[in-house]
Amino acid sequence: MESRMFRRRTALRAVALTSVAVAAVALTGCSGAGDSGPTKITFSYLWGGEEAKALEKVIADFNASQKEIKVVGVSSPDMQKQLTSMSSSNGSFDISDNFGNAVGSWASKGILAPLDDYLKTEKVDMGAFAPASLDQMKYEGKTYALPIAVHTQQLMYNKDLLDKAGVQPPTTMDELAAAIKKLTVTDASGAITQIGLGNPSTSTLFTTLGYAFGGTWDGKDGKTPTPADPKNVEALDWYTKTLTDAYGADKISSFTSGLGQYMSAQDPFYTGKEAMVIDGEWQAVNIPKVAPNLNWGVVDIPAVSSDLAGSTQVSTSTLFIPNNSKHKAEAAKFLAYMVGDKPMTDFTLALGNLPSKTSLLSDSAYDAIPHFDAWLNALKSPNAKSLSSQPYSAQYSTDLGTAFDDVVRGVATPEKAMQSVADKAKSC
Amino acid sequence: MTPTAKRGARRQTLLGLAFASPFIVGAAVFIVWPVLASAGYSFTDFNLFQAPKWVGLDNYAHMLQDSTFWKALWNTLFLTVTGVPLTIIISIVGAHFLNLPVRGQPLYRALVYLPTIVPVVVGGYLWRWLLNTQYGFVDYFLGLLHLPQPEWLEQPDWGKPAILLMCLWTIGGTMIIYLAAIKDVPGELYEAAELDGAGWWGRFRYITWPTISPVTLFQIIVTVIAYLQIFAQPYLLTQTRLNETSGGPGQSMISYAMYLYQNAFVFLKMGYASAMAWVLFLLTLIITLLLLWSSKKWVHYGSERD
Amino acid sequence: MVLNATEERQSETAPTRPAGERSSRLRRRRPGRTAGRYVLVWVLTLLFVFPFLAMLSTAFKLPADIFSAPPSLWPKEWTLANFAAVFEEIPFWQYLWNTIVIAALSVLGMLIASPLVAYSLSKIGWRGQRPLLVIVMATMMLPPQVTMIPLFLMWNGLEATNTIIPLVAPAFFGTPFLIFMLRQFLMSVPNELLQAARIDGASEFRIYWSIVLPQARPALITAVIFQFVWAWTDFLNPLIYLNDSSKYTLAIGLYSFFGEHNVEWGPLMAASVLFTIPALALFVVFQRYFVGGISAGALK
Repeated sequence: MESRMFRRRTALRAVALTSVAVAAVALTGCSGAGDSGPTKITFSYLWGGEEAKALEKVIADFNASQKEIKVVGVSSPDMQKQLTSMSSSNGSFDISDNFGNAVGSWASKGILAPLDDYLKTEKVDMGAFAPASLDQMKYEGKTYALPIAVHTQQLMYNKDLLDKAGVQPPTTMDELAAAIKKLTVTDASGAITQIGLGNPSTSTLFTTLGYAFGGTWDGKDGKTPTPADPKNVEALDWYTKTLTDAYGADKISSFTSGLGQYMSAQDPFYTGKEAMVIDGEWQAVNIPKVAPNLNWGVVDIPAVSSDLAGSTQVSTSTLFIPNNSKHKAEAAKFLAYMVGDKPMTDFTLALGNLPSKTSLLSDSAYDAIPHFDAWLNALKSPNAKSLSSQPYSAQYSTDLGTAFDDVVRGVATPEKAMQSVADKAKSC
Repeated sequence: MTPTAKRGARRQTLLGLAFASPFIVGAAVFIVWPVLASAGYSFTDFNLFQAPKWVGLDNYAHMLQDSTFWKALWNTLFLTVTGVPLTIIISIVGAHFLNLPVRGQPLYRALVYLPTIVPVVVGGYLWRWLLNTQYGFVDYFLGLLHLPQPEWLEQPDWGKPAILLMCLWTIGGTMIIYLAAIKDVPGELYEAAELDGAGWWGRFRYITWPTISPVTLFQIIVTVIAYLQIFAQPYLLTQTRLNETSGGPGQSMISYAMYLYQNAFVFLKMGYASAMAWVLFLLTLIITLLLLWSSKKWVHYGSERD
Repeated sequence: MVLNATEERQSETAPTRPAGERSSRLRRRRPGRTAGRYVLVWVLTLLFVFPFLAMLSTAFKLPADIFSAPPSLWPKEWTLANFAAVFEEIPFWQYLWNTIVIAALSVLGMLIASPLVAYSLSKIGWRGQRPLLVIVMATMMLPPQVTMIPLFLMWNGLEATNTIIPLVAPAFFGTPFLIFMLRQFLMSVPNELLQAARIDGASEFRIYWSIVLPQARPALITAVIFQFVWAWTDFLNPLIYLNDSSKYTLAIGLYSFFGEHNVEWGPLMAASVLFTIPALALFVVFQRYFVGGISAGALK
């Protein structure tokens, strides 16, 4: 009868589901219990898409070059997941990447494995790296990460638009301000149709400008947040005077919200909506791919005074080994391979990033990339600065981001905004 | 009680406990213990990787001066205060529409309910696309109707309305509950009212509304609780690259739960996040109790037939 | 009582005495009024359905078409390239499988635990019934954020993060909302059957298993569907607990898809379509139980 049938049905369903459960546990539970064969290590990386493909090629080369270690690459773009994975004793990766300014924060919490001993064993020559790329790798004297790729910022400009307006590529901040004025076009209603200086990332732009004006974001010792440094405020004031106040924050905001997607075919710099922009070297590889007809050039970021010439912001993509990895030695071997000349060249060429080793900076492999030398040379400049990698860095950059946003929206003056970040940093 | 009765009662208690044991054990492990532990963590400085450090009331004190905390709280309360009435009103109105005698009623009900079973991730990105100033449909239609076309996800003023739009899209469940509720109102009451000369508004106000008020109370409580905890919708609408968390333009879209998550899993300030969680808990409790207390004034029970 | 349940279901599909409608005297309708009604219902439905249409249309468009302003619903040229890109870039079948496993186990857990507790709250007369009911309802109001961190630490300590255990285990201890819904339903099951069995000397569990559960079939099916959908669409828990991208569910799979410098809207919408289809199919088949369940469960 119904109840018996129902009982049988529920029983069958229970059996079916239980077997699914058992199968699921079996599949997810065991993962390669120590068999004889190469040691498997997992390389979880934040890159995806094309960049991931390039990385997989390098990984494949490594696997083919020796038999003891097999690296499995996994694209996992979520930084929060990196953290949660490293917090338990069964982490999900043995080596991963991140940006240089996270190193200090993570190292101070014991999340990263110190690398000095492994570097000695693997004979990695720290002197081969460009000094500017090493700033963020150490914490309290120990090395916790290695730079696999470096990024600098330079001023890019649209040749056609500058020629049309009769403007020369600027070399001083005053020239830049004048150029921006000439290159920002508004229509009858005051709405902006073309802007002199674009803003792909407010945080990057403002911190770079801060350095260009001789300011510092982490104090003289590199260990204290100094958002309210007068030169920083001066840099932001320069921006608000030239753009926000001159054209209206709301107009700029309207203009920005209607722009196409960054780095796509509708990118505002590629489509002539932005005449100039301060951005990183990956553009040199992207523009020929996405906007081959763009007529563009690159100059050094203008200097406020001659001793600040060649000022730029350096950021790094780093490789690190989490402390909860069970195969640190093998991961270190792979790490050493990745910073070897050929893998680094292959990788950085594919991604359009700068290599971190001094010898490679003048390598002819990069000659084919248009204007790449402008960014390469920036790395050698004594005024190449990077944000510190300290325990407060994560919170600090979020707070700075919020404050910068307020400045761009005209909600707060640079002085007030930076002071509020300073206050927050104190109470942290 | 006679001894036999006492034994009977005890046996019943044992049976009751036995059958309820999964919940009792589960509640102890998954609810009671974590709630207490969370209270404990709220008095510490804890970054997940190193042992917690006792800091007393520091976290709570810090909350008072943390401008982002207040922003997130304000955003969440704003969403709650606007979202809940909108949900109730639109659901009741929609339920009446769905109750209209048209053919294929079940189909319309199903279609209205559909958005609620779509994974929130899908909804999040879908609405991000729809609200795009340049390529999205929402501004396009607003333009056709000669209405202003806001820059939804770019302007601080429009961030929260964007979240509301996305949330209101999924009120199909509430609408269907109200549909069942209004179907349950005895027809005789309406007839009597009509004889007395009541128009459609009078009928609604004096018959429908009081009769469905228990449902309304339940829905208000459930919806208030949902809005106070809102996380996925603003999180997805403001997501920048996966390496950064964002609060939307001018922090206008960061919800309480988002800021909590940020503190816990990005800044690794688990103690502070726990303190925030407790404040949310107390807030929810107080608001729920207030709602229940106020319900005496406007909720009518017992007018439904069994 | 059992009759009532059937009656209720009937009343949904064929409104014999639709309350809230004008009385029979005024049933003579002018055609304009009928058309007006359809328009109202269509507008309402269209507002809710339109986003899906936009999703579908974008999924089949070419990139240039996607970025055309003003936007149009009908693709200039239909293409399956976006769908192909989805399968290339994310392991859709893996994610689907992961999601199904988690949902199935959740349902199993719920079926084992929730009816038991509901039975305790409705059919066993004992002193703790009232207080327990209040507790169950109270837990429904607890913000998940309060328990989130300690639970995460607990699972971390048990080395269960990055597995499906944190996602599935709670269901085996009862899901408060469904316990409540099942309890409401069981209240309407006539006690005479149980009394008779008790007098005959049957054990309480036997009564539960052989008499009450079969009666509760419609409510159980609804509970299964609800649990399935919740597990299927859960975002926060997989976000916190699943680290390996091979373990991702559909919800998180889509989330990762969004990362990067560039968002590819075509493939993103195509992926969205694919992720919606299973839930949609389930809904179409079991629609009656969805709708019936919410109505029955939420009317106190």
